[in-house]
Amino acid sequence: MSGLFRRHFLILPAAALLFLFVMLPYVNVLVMSLRAPSDSTPYGEGFSAGGYVKLFSDPYYFEALGQTLWLGVLTAFVCFLLGLPIALHISQASRRWRGLLYGIVLSPLLVGIVVRSYGWTILLGNTGVINATLRNLGLIERPLPLMYNSFGIVVALAHVFLPFMVLPVLGALQGLDPAVGSAARSLGASRFTVFRRITLPLAMPGIQSGAILVFVLAVSSYVTPALVGGMRVKTMTVMVVDALIDQFQWPFGSALALSLAVSAGVIVLVFARLTRMKWK
Amino acid sequence: MRLASALLGLFRLLVYVFLLAPIVVVVLASLNAGNFLTFPPQGLSLRWFFTFLENEVFLRAIGFSVVLGLAATAASLVIGTMAALYYVRHAKRRAESVRIAILMPLILPEILTAIALLFFFYEVGVGTEYYIALFTGHVLITLPFVFLNVVTSLQGMDEMCELAARSLGAKRFTAFRRITLPLAKPGMINGALFAFIISFDTFGISYMLKGTGSAPLPIQLFDYLRFNFTPEAAAVSTVSIILTLAAVILADRFFGLKVQRF
Amino acid sequence: MTEVSILSLVKRYGTALAVNDVTLKVNHGEFVSLLGPSGCGKSTTLKCIAGFETVSDGRILFDGHDISNREPEDRDIGMVFQSYALFPHMTVAGNLAFGLEMRRVARDEINRRVADVMELVQLSQYAGRYPRELSGGQQQRVALARALVIEPAILLLDEPLANLDAKLRDEMRTFIRDLQKRVGITTLYVTHDQGEAMTMSDRVVVMFDGRIAQAAAPEDVYDRPASEAVARFVGNANILTGTVEAGADGAPGLRFGSEGTLLRLPAALPAGTAPGRGLRVMARPEQVRLTAPGAGDATGTVVSHYFNGGFIDYRVRVGADEIMVHAPTADRFADGAAVGLAFDAGRLWPLEGAA
Ligand SMILES: Nc1ncnc2c1ncn2[C@@H]1O[C@H](COP(=O)(O)OP(=O)(O)OP(=O)(O)O)[C@@H](O)[C@H]1O
Ligand SMILES: [Mg+2]
Repeated sequence: MSGLFRRHFLILPAAALLFLFVMLPYVNVLVMSLRAPSDSTPYGEGFSAGGYVKLFSDPYYFEALGQTLWLGVLTAFVCFLLGLPIALHISQASRRWRGLLYGIVLSPLLVGIVVRSYGWTILLGNTGVINATLRNLGLIERPLPLMYNSFGIVVALAHVFLPFMVLPVLGALQGLDPAVGSAARSLGASRFTVFRRITLPLAMPGIQSGAILVFVLAVSSYVTPALVGGMRVKTMTVMVVDALIDQFQWPFGSALALSLAVSAGVIVLVFARLTRMKWK
Repeated sequence: MRLASALLGLFRLLVYVFLLAPIVVVVLASLNAGNFLTFPPQGLSLRWFFTFLENEVFLRAIGFSVVLGLAATAASLVIGTMAALYYVRHAKRRAESVRIAILMPLILPEILTAIALLFFFYEVGVGTEYYIALFTGHVLITLPFVFLNVVTSLQGMDEMCELAARSLGAKRFTAFRRITLPLAKPGMINGALFAFIISFDTFGISYMLKGTGSAPLPIQLFDYLRFNFTPEAAAVSTVSIILTLAAVILADRFFGLKVQRF
Repeated sequence: MTEVSILSLVKRYGTALAVNDVTLKVNHGEFVSLLGPSGCGKSTTLKCIAGFETVSDGRILFDGHDISNREPEDRDIGMVFQSYALFPHMTVAGNLAFGLEMRRVARDEINRRVADVMELVQLSQYAGRYPRELSGGQQQRVALARALVIEPAILLLDEPLANLDAKLRDEMRTFIRDLQKRVGITTLYVTHDQGEAMTMSDRVVVMFDGRIAQAAAPEDVYDRPASEAVARFVGNANILTGTVEAGADGAPGLRFGSEGTLLRLPAALPAGTAPGRGLRVMARPEQVRLTAPGAGDATGTVVSHYFNGGFIDYRVRVGADEIMVHAPTADRFADGAAVGLAFDAGRLWPLEGAA
């Protein structure tokens, strides 16, 4: 008994924490999403599936769900396009440069998400850095619509989450012996063939987890759509917060949040299936 | 071939610029002398920093964030280190499930966890009183970072070291204190640093669980930014960037040299 | 100095038996090697003695005291690990002082004893270095010194030389052996290298599958193995299978091979050996001489030969059997040549059990 306790007491605090404050609350949210709505209190007596019915019957909400997931996919793809060359570059850089480049990639993580999103509003706004510069150069007359739309959101989200793509890919590439590339080229492979046949398959597990991470983070982000989208692009998180805090409808808010989480989960699973089948 | 290489190099350069641009812009904007965030700036000045220094709301928010971050980090450090020891030493066949469970707060959408916690604390009657919900949320989301870092340093350690200490006459606890703990220290320091930065910067959890009293800095900043466009927000952001950097540099100065020793 | 008795030791992991009824006595100041193939339970035996594993059954006595249930720190052992397990965050001196600090030895005495032991293992100039700043051989000596400085009752070593290169390994063999003789400490040494066990030990304990197959002096294990498995594990062995016959002079002989050569056997044969019975006999490769065809006990054909520095290793086909011969370089035979084989009748070793 004492030996059993001695071994397991180490995990007790974490287990208690996760059980009490993750397990139970999530179960509670599930129950909450099925409660009856009420006008005067956060939720009423009894149960109803009304929240889910409303979500899937009202195109306003349904389209917002699709829009949110689509933004997530786009963000993950942009992060892949931008992140892969960077990860490759860092993995091949000399020791001295590697530290600096690593620092640049990690820098967004060191700066809060609010500050980063704020930075993008300064850059992309109608009187922001980019539009002001272009106008002063006489290239445009009216400001380009860079913000308050999907474009601005994807740009800002890609920036915010790019490190989460680069770091896993870098991790996957750590096993890449530079000699492998040389060996392949000595066997007559072109630079591009080496990339396609050796580097890319090696980086694949990192790309997979990076893409999943970015997608999940992007669909559940709130600050960036709120600030850069200026509430004009309706994303699910913005509506969830709306329903919960402004309209005080807990069951409906829970239904929205859970639907988002579940559909994001399905997309992640489908993605994992597809990529694994292709690359195994 | 040449051209392709050059284009690739240019592309990389642009990505690095892309990564740094918003941060640089925020810092530059904070030095704007004008009343509004205009570009190009109307002269340079530190006036917005002084405005900010007189603004009690922001000062209190920074102080609150620092205290909250330290408290959450301390709790995560203890719980996460214990869990990491369990994972590396005793979990055996359960190891994978332990790992996934502890990383859960990182894998689950933060906003959903925040909502779940909010409802839960209301259901048990605590609500957002006394910052209990806020603190719990911060411990949850910082825990994975401590865990991952400590696991890394424990896995790099020869498990026999502790047995060697026992064979030399050290009691179980002495062996832990003199051998295991010092070897886990680099991971604990890194983990604590990560935890503090995450806590200092996180949004979703804080936004949902903040009480009626003080709010953490990101929330205060967000609320301000929704309705104001003065460079004061940039000044606050700049200070927040500097504080985060200071935490990294201080940790490196005080502990980093020791970390390098072995 | 301490005497170690292991009585019917059993260690189970779940249902698997890692150590199966091992009984062994190690005398005062004796150097005993546990030798056996990977997974035979050598390390497990040592861990039970050190107290890192609880025994499933049986007892372990130090000088007659049962210590089977004591914590490792209360057993007064010195242990050297295969990975050395040096404390990476302490200097050489710090590593060496650790055990003395645990024993609450006064600071000046710690300093004195650490200095002495560093002298003993020739590491005095490295006192301030960290383990990672030392070579493999130096780390090995720190590990040894760390175990010795506490003047333990017994010294346990688990494959301490496995991570060293061949030349250093040879040097360290002599070094450890000399040191052990000088200190006079009772020592149990685990290895899967039979050369190591032979050169260093007073006694070699050969283990297979958690059991002791033979415990004897190195010469006995080599020349008079208890079984064919021991014969084959310890060095190279030619096993000749045949039937016992009385020779022309009435002395027993072994009829073996398709040619039906009659080999003279030593006088002492296992009980139950009678003319007409099958018998297996071991002949070490260096106990066989190559002669001109027809001159020896048997005739064969050279299949292959490998030059090996001071010797040549031949494989000679005799009927269906292939015999290994470890011959001096003076005897040269080409592949395919017919040769005679002369066996050293006095050193042929009949193995127990039916053929
Ligand atoms: N902790 C354990 N749990 C389960 N089985 C174990 C454990 N430790 C050892 N064993 C098993 O016990 C047997 C003996 O292991 P042991 O480590 O004693 O072998 P060994 O003789 O030291 O081999 P090697 O030369 O490879 O070190 C092996 O079959 C091994 O798989
Ligand atoms: Mg072993």
